[in-house]
This record gives sequence, C-alpha cells and structure tokens, in this order.
Amino acid sequence: MSAAPRTIRFTLNGRTVAAEVAPQESLVTMLRDRFALYGARESCGQGLCGCCTVLVDGRAVSSCLALAALVDGRAVTTIEHLDADGTLDPVQQAFIEAGAFQCGFCTPGFVLMTRQLLEQHPDPGDDDIRHYLAGNLCRCGAYPEIVQAVKLAAAKRRGAAG
Amino acid sequence: MRAARQVGRSLPRLEARAKVTGRAEYIHNLQLPGMLYGKLVRSPIAHGTIRRIDAEAARAMAGVHAVITSAEVRQIIPSPYYGPAFHDQPILAIDKVRHIGEPVAAVLAADAAIAEAAAQLVTVEYDELPGIFDEVEAATSPVLVHEALKPAGTFADLKHLGGKRGTNVALEFRLRRGDVERAFAAAGQVFEHSFRSQPVMHTPLEPMVALAEATEASVTIHTASQSPSFVRIEIARLLGWPENRVRVRTAYLGGGFGAKLYIKLEALVTALALLARRPVKVSLTMEEQFYTITRHACTVRIKSAVDRDGRITARRCEVWWNGGAYADIGPRVTQKSGFTAAGPYDIENVAIDSVALYTNRPPAGALRGFGIPQLVWAYESHTDLIARALALDPVEFRRRNILREGRPQATGTVMRDAAIAAVLERLAQKLEWGRPFERGTGPVKRGRGIALGFKASISPTASVALVTIAADGSCAVQCGTVDMGQGSDTAMAQIAAEVLNLPAESVRIVHPDTDVTPYDMATLGSRSTFHMGNAVKRAAEDARDKLAALAAELGLPPGANVEIAELFRRRYGMQAGTIIGTASFLPSYAPPDLATGLTDNATPFWMVGATGVELEVDSETGRVRLLRLVTVADVGTPLNPRIVETQLSGAAIMQLGFTLLESMEFDRDGQLKNPSFADYKIPGLGDLPARIESETVAASQHSGPFGAKGVGESGTFGVSPAIANAIHDAVGVRLTSLPLTPEAIYRAIRAAAGDSLAEE
Amino acid sequence: MMPFDLVEPGTLREALALLDPEDSAVRAFAGGTALMLMMKSGFFRPKRLVSLNALAGDVASLSLSPTGELRIGAMVRLAELERAPEIRRAAPVIAAALRRHSNPRVRNVATVGGNLAHGDPHMDLPPVLIALGAEVEIEGPAGRRRLPVDGLVSGYYETVLRGDELIVAAIVPPQPRRRALYVKCTTRAADDWPALGLALSLEADGAAIRAATIVLGAATERPMRLAQAESLLAGRTADAALIGEAGRVAAAEAAAAIIADARGSSAYKRRLLEVELRRALARLLDLPAAGETR
Repeated sequence: MSAAPRTIRFTLNGRTVAAEVAPQESLVTMLRDRFALYGARESCGQGLCGCCTVLVDGRAVSSCLALAALVDGRAVTTIEHLDADGTLDPVQQAFIEAGAFQCGFCTPGFVLMTRQLLEQHPDPGDDDIRHYLAGNLCRCGAYPEIVQAVKLAAAKRRGAAG
Repeated sequence: MRAARQVGRSLPRLEARAKVTGRAEYIHNLQLPGMLYGKLVRSPIAHGTIRRIDAEAARAMAGVHAVITSAEVRQIIPSPYYGPAFHDQPILAIDKVRHIGEPVAAVLAADAAIAEAAAQLVTVEYDELPGIFDEVEAATSPVLVHEALKPAGTFADLKHLGGKRGTNVALEFRLRRGDVERAFAAAGQVFEHSFRSQPVMHTPLEPMVALAEATEASVTIHTASQSPSFVRIEIARLLGWPENRVRVRTAYLGGGFGAKLYIKLEALVTALALLARRPVKVSLTMEEQFYTITRHACTVRIKSAVDRDGRITARRCEVWWNGGAYADIGPRVTQKSGFTAAGPYDIENVAIDSVALYTNRPPAGALRGFGIPQLVWAYESHTDLIARALALDPVEFRRRNILREGRPQATGTVMRDAAIAAVLERLAQKLEWGRPFERGTGPVKRGRGIALGFKASISPTASVALVTIAADGSCAVQCGTVDMGQGSDTAMAQIAAEVLNLPAESVRIVHPDTDVTPYDMATLGSRSTFHMGNAVKRAAEDARDKLAALAAELGLPPGANVEIAELFRRRYGMQAGTIIGTASFLPSYAPPDLATGLTDNATPFWMVGATGVELEVDSETGRVRLLRLVTVADVGTPLNPRIVETQLSGAAIMQLGFTLLESMEFDRDGQLKNPSFADYKIPGLGDLPARIESETVAASQHSGPFGAKGVGESGTFGVSPAIANAIHDAVGVRLTSLPLTPEAIYRAIRAAAGDSLAEE
Repeated sequence: MMPFDLVEPGTLREALALLDPEDSAVRAFAGGTALMLMMKSGFFRPKRLVSLNALAGDVASLSLSPTGELRIGAMVRLAELERAPEIRRAAPVIAAALRRHSNPRVRNVATVGGNLAHGDPHMDLPPVLIALGAEVEIEGPAGRRRLPVDGLVSGYYETVLRGDELIVAAIVPPQPRRRALYVKCTTRAADDWPALGLALSLEADGAAIRAATIVLGAATERPMRLAQAESLLAGRTADAALIGEAGRVAAAEAAAAIIADARGSSAYKRRLLEVELRRALARLLDLPAAGETR
C-alpha cells in the first residue's frame, strides 16, 4: 500500500465488490461516488450526528470518519440493504408507524442504530434508548416519536421471534 | 360512492417508505455528468477592504478548472447583488468584506478534494476596518457596514423600504396606538426590563446545496431551496433574462427552518456554471452554514403601565434586530414580528419601535418563528415579572389582559379565529395549575412556568396550484410548496383527495419545478397549509367542476355514478386527455400606515401557541432538569393530527435548544468560535424533558382549507420564557439573556445571595 | 484531505518499523476517530499513516488473570471493553464510564491505546484508569517499558510516548475491597464532552476510608491527582462534614490548574468539583448526599 490509489475488495450489502480508492477517501464518499448509495450522508462531518451511519462487520460506524481503504476485506452494510428482499425491516416499519421522522435526513442513521440497540437490548427501557441514541441528532426534533418507534420495533422483533 | 374523510386522518407521510430506506431524493445526492465542485475561499476577517487576491498557485494546481472572483462574475452579471429586501449581497465579495466567512472566491475542480485543497492556496490581502457587532451600538455607530443602500422592491409588503442614509438602519418600524406617555404618567405602577436573545443557527442536517447547469438559452438550478419561485425571479433579474429561461427545481429538503430561503447559493452556482460552461455543484459543510445565515440576535426593552385592577394600560417596546452584514429578510422580521411585540394582550396604549440593523456579523434571516420567539422571550418574561411584583397568579394576570375574540390587536386589526383564551385555559388545565405544586427537597428545587405567544401570518402572498386528472382518473398536484419535513406533500394530497373523493395515498405530489409548478411565494412562516392549501383546494374544486362539465357534455345526468376513466374514454374514444384544475389564492391585506403602523387588515390568520414547563434546578450547580414540557396551540382544525403533533413538539424541542444550549459565540473581532457540532450543541435525546405533551385546542380557521391553518412555528413561541419563569419559580432568580446555561443560573443564584461567583 | 501513504502492517514489529520518530507527519492510526477529525480540518496533514487495524493477538485482546489483574490490549475497541464480562467483574467502573463516552459508533472503532495515546484531556477513560492504578505497556525499538497511566500524559494533547513507540496494553491491577466511581459532568448538551470528569477509587470498610485516589479530568490540561483531598480522607471515617471538606480542599488544590473554556469559567468548574466530589463520596460511602443549600 502507498499514497497511490489502490484496489480494495469487500462485501457490500451481501455482494463482493471492488473499488479503486485513494488513501484519503472517506467511506461515505466512496459509497456515494462509486456505488451510488445515498442513504449514508455526510452532515456534521464529525461523527456526532449519525447521518452517515453504516455497518462494518456488523458494527455501526460513522462513515465520514472512516477511511474507505480500510474496509478492504470487510463487510459493509448500508440502509439500502435492509429491504433487499422487498420487505421492510421491523425497525423501518416501526419508524413509519410511529411517525418517527420529519425531513428524513437523519432517519437511516437512526434506523441502523436502533437495530444495533435492539441486538444488544431486545427490550430497551427509556434510559437504554436515551443513552444509545444520544449520539444521533434529529434537527426536526422527532425524538418523542423515535423513542416510541424503538419500543414498537422491539415489540415487533419479540413478536417475530416468539 | 363517498370515500372516508381524507382530512383529519393521521396518514403516514406519503414518502415514509422512501425516507426509512434511505432512498428519498435530496439535492445533496445529485451528481451530473461533467460536473465541477465549487469550494469557497472565505474571509477570515469581519470587516475590511480587499487589497489583492492572488489565485496563481491555486490556478496552477493540477486538476483545478478555474478560480473565480467577482471580477469574472461581473463579466456576465454586471450588477451581481441580490437579496429579497435589499439588493445588497454580492455573489462574491466586491472590494470589501463585511462578515467573517464571506465568500471571496470560488475554486472549481472535478474532484472536490482538489477544489478544497486549491482553495487553501488562494491568498487574499485585506486592509482591516473596525467592525460593529452589537445591534444596539450599531444604531448610532459611525462604523458603517454599507455605504449605500439599495432597496429591492420585489415584495409588495416591503415596497416602502428605503433604509436610512448614513446609518446602519435598514428599516425602522413604528407603531403608535393611543397615548402611551399619558398612560405611563397616569399609571399606578410602571415596570421596565430588557431582554437579550443570542445569535443561533438553523443547522439543517442536509447542509445547503445548489447545482446549476447552463446552456446559451437557459439555466437549470437544482437547489435545496424553500423558495423556488423567488429564486427564478431573482436569477432572471440578475441575468436580465425572462423568467421562462430559468428553471428551478427542488427535491425533499433535509430540513430548512428558514435557512434555505430566498437566495443562498443559487446565484453563485448560476454564475459559476455560466463561466465554467459545465454543471457546478456547491455543497456547504456544516461549518460553512454558520457563515451563511443565522437567527437575529435581538435586544428588547419593554415597559408597561398597570392599573390597580391588574390591567395593563400601556406598553412601550423598543426592539433592535441584529441583521448582520446583509439584510436578507431581516426587514420583514422587523416589521411583521415587530407589530406583535406587545404580546397577545388587550392594551389601549401601545408604542413599538422595531429597528433592523446592519452589523459585521454573518447575515441573519428567517428562522422558525420569524422573530416571534425573541419577542415572546421578552414580553412573557416581563409579564411574569409584573405578575410576581403584583403578587398575582401568572395565569390569572394573563387572563385579565389577554386579547379576546373580536377585540383589536395593537395594529387595530380585529382578532378573528385566534383561540388565545382557550389555549391559555387548556394549558392551565393540563398543568393542573390550581393544585398545590411539589417544591422539591434539599438542594433540588422545583418550579413551573407558562408563556403564551402569537404570530400573524405573512401577507400579502400568493400561491397558485394545478390539480390534474389523467385519463385513468389518477390525480397529481403541481404546486411550489417544498416538503422540508413539515409534511406538506401529505397535507396537500389530503386536501385534493378530500375534494375529489379519492384516497390521499393515491394522489401524487409533483415537487417544485418552475417549468411545471406554478408560482408560490415560498415555503415559510407556516403559510403553506393556509395559502397553498386554499389554492390546492380551489384547484381541486375546479378539476371537479370540469369533470362534472365533461359528464354533462357527455349527456350524463347530474350525480351519475360513472368512473372518471370512463368519462375520458367516452370523450376521447380511448384512454386520452387531461383535466387541469387551477386556482390561485391571494388573501386581502391593508398595509400598515407608515407613521402609525396601524391597519385594519394586518394578516389573513393568527397563530397561537403556549408552553408550560415543570422543572428542577440543582441550586448547588445551576443545572436544570426539565420534567415536563407542554405545548398547547390553536392550529385551526388539524388536517393530519399526528403530523401536527410532531410539528408542535419538534418546534418546542428546537426552541429548547435555543433556550438552554445553543449560542454562536463571537470574539471581539467578530470571529466565530464554535462553527461545528463539536462546540455548537443542538439537543439530542439526552436533553429532552422527561415528559413532552403537545395538544391542539378545538378550533377552526374559517378562511382556511377545511378549517386548517399553519402549525410549524407555534410550538416555539413560549418555550424560552416558560423555562425562565419556571426557574424563577424554583430558585427565585431571573435571567434576562439567552441561553440559560447552568453557569448563568448558578451565578444568578450566588448574586442573589450577595455572594457573587468570581469572574474568571 | 490530500493523499498520504497508508500502510497496514500485519505485526507489531512491522508497525514499529514503519513509524518515524523524526517526522510528526507519520503516525499510527487505530480507530482513527480523533485523527480523522484533525485531518479533515487540515490541522494534521499526514505523510504516512500506519494502520494498526490488522494487528491480532495480545495487542487486540483482553484477559483477566486468576489474581484479578486485567490486561487490555491496546487495539481492544471501547465497545468491547464496555461489554466484556471480565470488565464488569473486575472493574465495572470502566464499563459505566464508557457508557456515556462519545457515542456507540465511536466506541465501536476507537481503541484503548488510541484513547490513551491521544493525550486529549476530555477523554473519560484516562482518569478512570489512573484512579484504578493502571499502567501502560509501551513497545519501541528499545523493547518494552511500563509506565503508570498517570505518567503517560505530560500535557495538553501531549504524552511521553516517542514517535517510534506504541502502547501495546493497559494493565489494571486487582481491586480488592475497592469501590470506584466516575462522574461525567456536562454543562451543555447531555452528549457533550465533559466540563469536568471525576474518577474516584476508595479502599474502605463501611465509612472507614483506608485510602483514596481522586482524579480530575477534562477541566485541566491533563488528568490531575487531587493529593490533598486524598490525604484528607485517608485513614478517616467519613461523615457529612468530612466529605464536604474534601470537596472544598479538592477545589482549592485544583484551582490554579482548572482552565476556563466554552464549557464553563474556572470559578464555576471549581464549584462543580466541590459539589460533585462531595456527592460522589456520599454515593460511594452510602452517606446522605445533602450539602449546604443556597
């Protein structure tokens, strides 16, 4: 590896892909420019708002603070993968039912973080939700509905599992 | 067959699925073949003349297409100044910079990283000038931000603008009702206070973005704008072209809140695309947004006379608005908000002076509430202080003084469909105001407070809509209202569907595109539900009438139950044809008298919002914990109750940020110290009150579509003073400057105890 | 950002060889959350980044010895630390402190080593590790050395690490009969960096304190042991008066070091320290929290 662009291979939304990336390129830029994936979007640019959330090897990261070159060999999942089979994820369904967004710009980040929250806390209390989603910002202030949506999604997932 | 009622349904947003899957269209996402990225070189000083711009190194950098300064811009636009109130803002700085972060040059490259790196190679030499930053000082300062003022004359309500030569005054609005001086002289008691609001920023999460593509004959601008029609008019004026050669389109906006109004980047990208002969995209970073538009810092001095019965007999308000370096829409904020500065109270004698001032801060414009939150902050803090001084219950004191239906407001306009009393009573009821209130134990003290505000809709403004019925009976609405999250697509679909007896889900909303969608003044000031809602309703009625006419033409008896598609088939012999319903809506208006500010028709409707707060103050640290935040509003009859509720609580949460957390901090030289989310903190989930409740009172706006009116701002009105009033209730101290930080509260507690905390 | 050399060695030895003590534009890159911010703002323009993300083995794992000593590899992510059963057993204060540190996305990638090596005074982990008496293991051309975490950070964003050294692990000694607590005190949004972080570790029987370690973070250029408050408490049986006194002594001894910034004036942070230390001691010692009221 060096300062020159290099070819990386990784799994993107379940498929093996390759891309030529410059070392300084961020993950969010690569997803937009090379793969036309717009669900992760740079907003604050500092990893504080959560709009650029994607999963790398199943863990949520801020793709504006990640170097694209370092996902070589890893698995990247974006919001676009959640309904790959045409069916919405229970979290997405819950966000619609609870009306948990207005402008929608932050929504993919909240959805992905909520999925990760529910993996760790299948039945989260208010305090768990507040702590876990404190690093996702919604300027429209749809927070009360987001909390409702998380609880609704938890119930849906439990229902599906049980 | 009659479908179920479409208005009044809590229908999920039409675009809900697109938003949760990340596939909703935003201009942020747009890329065009051959496109260049523009990165801006910005002024590092607040006020100065430009001696020299050296772009050689940047131009020489591999991959740089061009470096553009005002010299190049003037080759295609000789007078490149824009603005909705004054033509005062240059596309790129000309000879002088007037605020920190003002765009001076633009670097174009196919690779955004190269454009950004090259922008850092442009060196600009300045001769610094003294700056003026404070709005009150600006009123009399010898430091002038603009040597000459150039009124725009675009909007009907701002035709009288002239500015005051040789000063920083862009607009002075005066209102004189009754005889304030005599009332003060005769008053039992007189109270006077001053309040300040800090500069804050909208921070839409989709940062401002615009993209232009030009040919010899036309220009297309893709922009995250709340006002596509205004952009078209203004770009056409700048280019000297007819409007029909300028096409402006938008998509969903990732938040607007007033930041994306009038012209922001559109003139710049147009000039860059014409010069480069390539499509050009300019996407601001979060940091750059702070240099682009802000909410007015504001100082209010307010004085009231009260008689023995606790009736306010006179009120004088002096309001100074810090408009920053370019007027943007500040003059309208100054006038439209200014005339309500005395509050929703029935006061015989009122004098208001509301002054828009230029300073060397980044420009200030519209932000959710359009100046009202700054005024309510003052008059509801003041009202609470008077009630305390008179030992009157705050609800009871307001009850004695509020403006009731049929009474004239300060301008003389008679209040109609403004449920001020009902909102106050419902709020008191929800808070169980009459019951004893738990006061807390130990160092943690509990308090509660209320505040009540109102706002006049902007006037006179027009909306035009088309409702088209295709040959299969499907319906599309073409209108210029921009859905920036407020749910206008869904509301307009519900209105059209209600008229046409269709399910709202089946109505398609065509997003603003000035080639296709007719004129709309802008998406601002909670005007769309009322103005565009009325236009869509009438256009749908026109379409319905034309369908009925078609049926009659086909010889069908009135009320015949024939499917729409069948009507078209019979008329055209196949699936063909279109029905186009159209309507425009322009409410009546009487401009205020220039000397007295009086008018009997100031606004087509009033918005009313009240806030109640219960909180705890840690008296040892000044930290506040909000236990309960209650919003009650008159929104007429809600078209979509769930979206209305989210609008109310969302507005309250945004204003909570402006009350407790947010402040743009400038140093003495006008440098902004915190232009990023690392240091400019907006509310997150951890900052929310334990309980948030939002409610509308049963009401109807009789002139509104199906009884509805605007809702987007009403939740903001009372938040700041309700919190300050509750803090006062808890720990006995009064704060008069925003934001209400823990340290400010703790310092006030110490000062009240005669043991001030050291200033270090 | 402009191009730079990005290398991803597979072993610690290779990583060390790629560092350059003479060139501050060559830096190790672990989670990268802090460096990316510095690079995006143009504050740091790297010539070469040595990614440590391919390192495996000890440096990327966590273990608890039978004696209760924790060894935390430098490349362990903060989220792993937060959830590791070993941490919850041996030093639950670490997990509790991390719960409010930054956000889950940052914790998913940020590493223990990066957190310590950055020398950022606003981090929550260093004061906690200092309060627990932890050490760091450092590897360089001259081999391995061990330092107390307290000796690692030398100033504002400065450590004693040389340019060709890497932190390989943090070692937390056994904590028998110790109770620890971390207080993150924010003054703006709840999700802000702390205005003041306070880490305490007490060795006590009931209210009888044998030894106390008190570390102030975020309000000073580097984490600061509050030795006078510690010695005031050592060997004493705590009561309301003593913990109130400890708060005042701590505020006085930290006064000169506390920095005013956007999160608060120096005077206000001293006040916060006084109140928060008293309350933290009350919680740890199960005493009534009430102090004086105003």
